[in-house]
Amino acid sequence: MTTLKPLALAAALALSALGAPGAHAAGGTLTVAPFAPGDPGSFDPIDTFLVAWGNVGSQLYDGLTMRGADMKLVPGLATHWEMLDKDTRIRFTLRKDVKFHDGEPFNAQAVKFTFDRLLGDEGKKGPQQSNYNAIKEVKVVDDLTVDFILSQPDPVLLTKLAGYGAMIVPPRYIQEKGDAYFNTHPVGTGPFRFVSYEPKISLTLERNPDYWGGAPKLDKVVYRYITEPSTQASELLAGRLDIAANIPLSMTSVIKENKNLKIVDIDGPTTVALRYNTRDGITANKEVRKALIMAVDRDAIIKQILLGYAVPTASFQGKLSFGYDPTLKVVPFDLAKAREILKQQGVKPGTPVQIDYRGSDQNFREVAQAVAGYLQAAGLKPTLKGYETNVLLNDIIPNGKTGNMWQNTWGGWTFDYDNTAYAMYHSGQKWNPYDKDPKLDAMLEAQRGTYDREKRLKTLQDIARYVQDQALEMPLYSLKAVFGVNDRVKDLTIPSDGRFRFIDASVQ
Amino acid sequence: MTGFLVKRLFQAVFVILVVTLLVSWAVRLTGDPALMLAQGAGSITEADLQRIREGLGLNQPFLVQYGHFLWGMVHGDFGRSFLGGASVGGLIATALPATLWLTFCSLAFSLIISIPLGIHAAVHQGSWSDQTIRILTLVGLSFPNFWLALMLVLLFAIIYPVFPPSGMTDATSVVLPALTMGIILSATTVRLVRTSMLETLNAQYIMVVRSKGLKERTVLYKHALRNCAIPVITFLGLQFGGLIGGIVVVERVFNWPGLGTLAFEAISGRDYPVLQAAVTILALLIVLANLLVDMAYGLVDPRIRIK
Repeated sequence: MTTLKPLALAAALALSALGAPGAHAAGGTLTVAPFAPGDPGSFDPIDTFLVAWGNVGSQLYDGLTMRGADMKLVPGLATHWEMLDKDTRIRFTLRKDVKFHDGEPFNAQAVKFTFDRLLGDEGKKGPQQSNYNAIKEVKVVDDLTVDFILSQPDPVLLTKLAGYGAMIVPPRYIQEKGDAYFNTHPVGTGPFRFVSYEPKISLTLERNPDYWGGAPKLDKVVYRYITEPSTQASELLAGRLDIAANIPLSMTSVIKENKNLKIVDIDGPTTVALRYNTRDGITANKEVRKALIMAVDRDAIIKQILLGYAVPTASFQGKLSFGYDPTLKVVPFDLAKAREILKQQGVKPGTPVQIDYRGSDQNFREVAQAVAGYLQAAGLKPTLKGYETNVLLNDIIPNGKTGNMWQNTWGGWTFDYDNTAYAMYHSGQKWNPYDKDPKLDAMLEAQRGTYDREKRLKTLQDIARYVQDQALEMPLYSLKAVFGVNDRVKDLTIPSDGRFRFIDASVQ
Repeated sequence: MTGFLVKRLFQAVFVILVVTLLVSWAVRLTGDPALMLAQGAGSITEADLQRIREGLGLNQPFLVQYGHFLWGMVHGDFGRSFLGGASVGGLIATALPATLWLTFCSLAFSLIISIPLGIHAAVHQGSWSDQTIRILTLVGLSFPNFWLALMLVLLFAIIYPVFPPSGMTDATSVVLPALTMGIILSATTVRLVRTSMLETLNAQYIMVVRSKGLKERTVLYKHALRNCAIPVITFLGLQFGGLIGGIVVVERVFNWPGLGTLAFEAISGRDYPVLQAAVTILALLIVLANLLVDMAYGLVDPRIRIK
């Protein structure tokens, strides 16, 4: 019987822990498992580009501009701005009476300090600087006015000022406490302020009662870092999470069946395509590339494998993206026609096609298998090759060592097609190892040179149309962001860019 | 004894040098941390990447970087994480106790169930209970650890919410992960205890002890068990490496904030300083475990006590 003692002890301990959950106060505490990998390691805006940082950043900090849940640009810490000197200078009027969480006043000096830091030596080590190098310098005009002097046009700049590296940081605090301390004890002007942080385990924030935009309802927000999606689902099912950001699609039905939980899906930034190796093999032929697009039934893949949590796309962007063209149609599934074209182009039955994908991406592995199935039906001999994600992204793709087709999963928080198109199609870009197209280069550069929204939109739409015409990729779908949410959370808005800002939400 | 320890110390240093050199070298073949950091940064130029690499010290030749790592380690400084710049020493300091605690509980759990079960099976060789135990161990052996983990979570955290499904929040958090690793470990240990017990029970001295009229319990637990301890301890020492390997998966599923999780995330994030430190500590643990096994031999068997 001695063997049973430890078990009995464990059971007793377990029972004593059951009485733990306490009653919620007025606004309550919201517990979130953010997107993997969850812990950005540092909450300094200039240190990272992870979505995981974005999940926290907009709760702690504000930018000069801000974006609502509808992705429209609105005033943030700047109440007003105007373009001067033929669009080479932007003058911002700053919001009055705003204070950082430590009591330090927000003013023109803070803005200058933020950007001097981002564009100077401190920012050099991080990945954020390159996004803002259109800014030559920031000049203080008076206490509540700053001028941004631009060295080159950047039509996406105002959007980029709403997030990540451009979030305004407190000069005195950073100078006094040092950079390393600021990384793990962030201070901003945002609706929530920092309470505590345990690396890789959790981050706790509390309501900023003095928030200039009106204090949030929640008392606290606790981020729990859980990297394994099925573990996030377990924790949600056990009632220990209010929001889980990484729910495996296979578990959505279990969550829906639970009477206390629901699935919330929103249009997300992530778009998936199979890009072509336009240099080698049968995919060097444009007509063959078009035939392959026709051979794959995207609707069936979305319905069967992605359980409906995706939208088919005609270009490499979702419908929230600036540059999206609703009149650009998805190429319809037509296996017979695809076969006919392949025959006309002299592609012999049984010709091999290789699809490279990220081996750790379980959903996509199934999608790739389905695509392979369709290509086989079209008479080809597809093979699948799974790579470790970083090897694929950092070695195989940039060095032009891919098979005929390769997975590209892409999404930028700016929701601007420029962010995608320039990186994908401009000559010499890392993501464009195979093509040099002067016509495409010219269009991509033209839209970067203008602040005229109408003109830019048209050029971006032309680019998407041109890419479709050249069949540079097989567009697949734009993924929905799928969240598991406990019903006790009220008035929750989840923005499509994943930059959480839980001002209206409460937990009952 | 001192000579023995010195020899072991040299061995440990050698093992750590080889392991870290291999890991540091191999991980650098699999991608660029600068690109990892810059992922999603719109259009990034080679100059931008070069700047990030310089900031991280990655522009230096490999041996210089490795030398820096060794030099730092000798001074007790593991450097700073590439992702966010947290002190690696601090990360290890929180992860190591978590891993040790989980390993200890798993081992303890597996011993607590496998020794009595193994002895029982040996004593009642061929009976239905022996058969049942053997079938159960076979089933236990064929469980993949992540599957077992998910099933345990489903059963004891969701359907019957007795234990927390993940994390290390209270005293009961360790139960499910330790059970997962313990069950898998027990499967082999039970079989080993059974086999060596069978051998021992046929030995003449057991006959002598029995003929003295000692209670069966004393015969088994005092005289026989001690003699089959050597193979079991050897086996556990060998298993320890496997246990550390398995801990990476189990820690991840249970979101256990240990070295396995740390190493896993460092590999996927190409966070060299964290990875090198985590691997060093894991290698040290294995060396240490082997040392403990050697010392335990002397403890249970005076014949091989080291002079």
